[in-house]
Amino acid sequence: MRDVLTEIWESIRRNKLRTCLTGFAVSWGIFMLIVLLGAGNGLMNAFMRGGEDIATNTMQVGGGRTSKPYDGLKEGRRIWLDERDVQLTGSEVFADHIDQVISSVSTNATVSYGKKHFSGSIEGNFPARQQMDKIEILYGRFLNDKDIKDSRKVVVLPEDRAETLLGNEVRDSGARFPGVAPSVRSGKQVNVQDMLGKYVRIGDFSYRVVGIAKANEETNSNTVYAPYTTIRTIYGKGQEIDDITFTFHGLDSEAENEAFEEQFRATMNVRHRAAPDDRRALWIWNRFTQNLQMNRGRNLLSTALWVIGLLTLLGGIVGVSNIMLITVKERTHEFGIRKAIGASPWGIMKLILAESVTITAFFGYVGMLLGMLACMVLDKTVGQSSVSIMDEQIAMFVNPTVGLDVALEATLVLIIAGSLAGLFPARKASRVRPIEALRAE
Amino acid sequence: MLIELKNVNKTYNNGQPLHVLKGINLGIDKGEFVSIMGASGSGKSTLLNILGILDNYDMGEYYIDGRLIKGLTERQAADYRNHMIGFIFQSFNLIGFKTAVENVELPLFYQGVPRAKRHQMAMEYLDRLGLADWAKHYPNEMSGGQKQRVAIARALITNPKIILADEPTGALDSKTSEEVMQLLGKLNREEGVTIIVVTHESGVANCTDKIVHIKDGIIGQIEDNREHRASVFGTSTIMK
Repeated sequence: MRDVLTEIWESIRRNKLRTCLTGFAVSWGIFMLIVLLGAGNGLMNAFMRGGEDIATNTMQVGGGRTSKPYDGLKEGRRIWLDERDVQLTGSEVFADHIDQVISSVSTNATVSYGKKHFSGSIEGNFPARQQMDKIEILYGRFLNDKDIKDSRKVVVLPEDRAETLLGNEVRDSGARFPGVAPSVRSGKQVNVQDMLGKYVRIGDFSYRVVGIAKANEETNSNTVYAPYTTIRTIYGKGQEIDDITFTFHGLDSEAENEAFEEQFRATMNVRHRAAPDDRRALWIWNRFTQNLQMNRGRNLLSTALWVIGLLTLLGGIVGVSNIMLITVKERTHEFGIRKAIGASPWGIMKLILAESVTITAFFGYVGMLLGMLACMVLDKTVGQSSVSIMDEQIAMFVNPTVGLDVALEATLVLIIAGSLAGLFPARKASRVRPIEALRAE
Repeated sequence: MLIELKNVNKTYNNGQPLHVLKGINLGIDKGEFVSIMGASGSGKSTLLNILGILDNYDMGEYYIDGRLIKGLTERQAADYRNHMIGFIFQSFNLIGFKTAVENVELPLFYQGVPRAKRHQMAMEYLDRLGLADWAKHYPNEMSGGQKQRVAIARALITNPKIILADEPTGALDSKTSEEVMQLLGKLNREEGVTIIVVTHESGVANCTDKIVHIKDGIIGQIEDNREHRASVFGTSTIMK
């Protein structure tokens, strides 16, 4: 091994400039690959943030508008979900897959506390909603079964709404980022915990605040949660409901999900006198397939970035291959001598392959380190900023770095690339005939 | 017989077929000091290539020490060259970026001899040829005679059965040529090394004990030259 390294060093030492120029192309290729993957990761991390907070085995169903005439009724008819749909969903018909079914009703109302108030959606909901939407409670609790049973007048306020009621009108960008105490953020000393146990006025009634939920853009942070039974009774919703949400199991592939959705849709549509295959009569939001699609998108992006990065690297590889070919040509006589005194073809091939891999790996590593450095710089600059879109603070990059796995993969790529670059020149070298040695220079 | 050639034929097929060796029969004993003489185009280079297992032949048989050398793979050929044959070339063929001692070590490297052992052996051989002080020098820092002596050390280090010298004095002046030939003669006499010199110079051939004349691809006269009187230019010099 040491002998081979010595040989490589001797060869490279004689062609420093040429080796460095070629090596630069390899460094650049790997640098681009790492930076691209890092930036891609940052973009995907920003995009996926919050998405992870939702339980993936749930489907949400809502009423739509028919798009086909059916059973003597014209298209364009509104479909309203009601209690019987909930019963049907939870019935024996779908018992193979559906576990828990909940529904919600909502109304728009003004919530006031002292002189402060805001208007928003009040959602009558069930305790199970917390699990399904992964609602994080900062203080107090979420709705419980007793709230439902007794139709208690209690509410769970989102963090920022609670702040509004406490008088903090200023919503700075920090509000979206967890881990920063509210009191530190604003000029006024506001602690949302103070709202616990207080009574807020919604419509004609007073509701006790039992919990403060964490603000989360993915799961309707502006929604005020109240017991389902309370809202239905007070706002006279009757049988009508806004949506049905249920958890399911045993649907592992996209095809299975599709088949199930088809069956579910047909059953429900018929109940509402809509065509069984009318995809607009009811909308179904399957978080599982959505998640699958998002993962697929992520993989696609990552694959695309790898392809671009590898193509950039290809330029460097071709350069190395070219340089090795020149080296082989220059050293033809030497290889002839080596063969005449007993070098086997593999002995010569090894020399060129090792040199190629060494050049590629060394300059590749330089590029990789620089790329990771660039990712870190990206993380410290762009990664910390956010863009304001429609009053929502959205981070463009979250943690735009690559992991150890990518570093290992890139190492593997470098070794393979180096071998590939050296393969053709090495074969050429190994085929040098020993008679070359007899040819006078 | 150390070397035995039986009806060896070789034809080059580059466009027009060229029948270069037309049935060579030759035997060389262990410890002989032989020269093969011929004009250019006589087939002596081709014969040298075959003797050195650098090239193959079409017909006939070639034995080294009773072992048939025919239809070898490249690896086997390399192995045989490494163990059985020591080459001395006209243009020395030392590797320019390696020092004298590294050049001498190289055949042992291909035999897989450990670093320290082969270094010690190479130093021994350089010392025997009076080049111990030049071990760390690169070929371009040495004179032609010194370079050829390094090459001889490299040829000897594997203790081969035959030393094949291809115009060993071709790139040297007459004085150095003589020194080199005397060195080869001494190695032959004192250590019993079998040496085959290929040359077109009669003076060089005259230094050997047996002269094989080759002409038009067949062996002509085989001269016994133990008296060293073959040279028309006198017995003690190599004319340039």
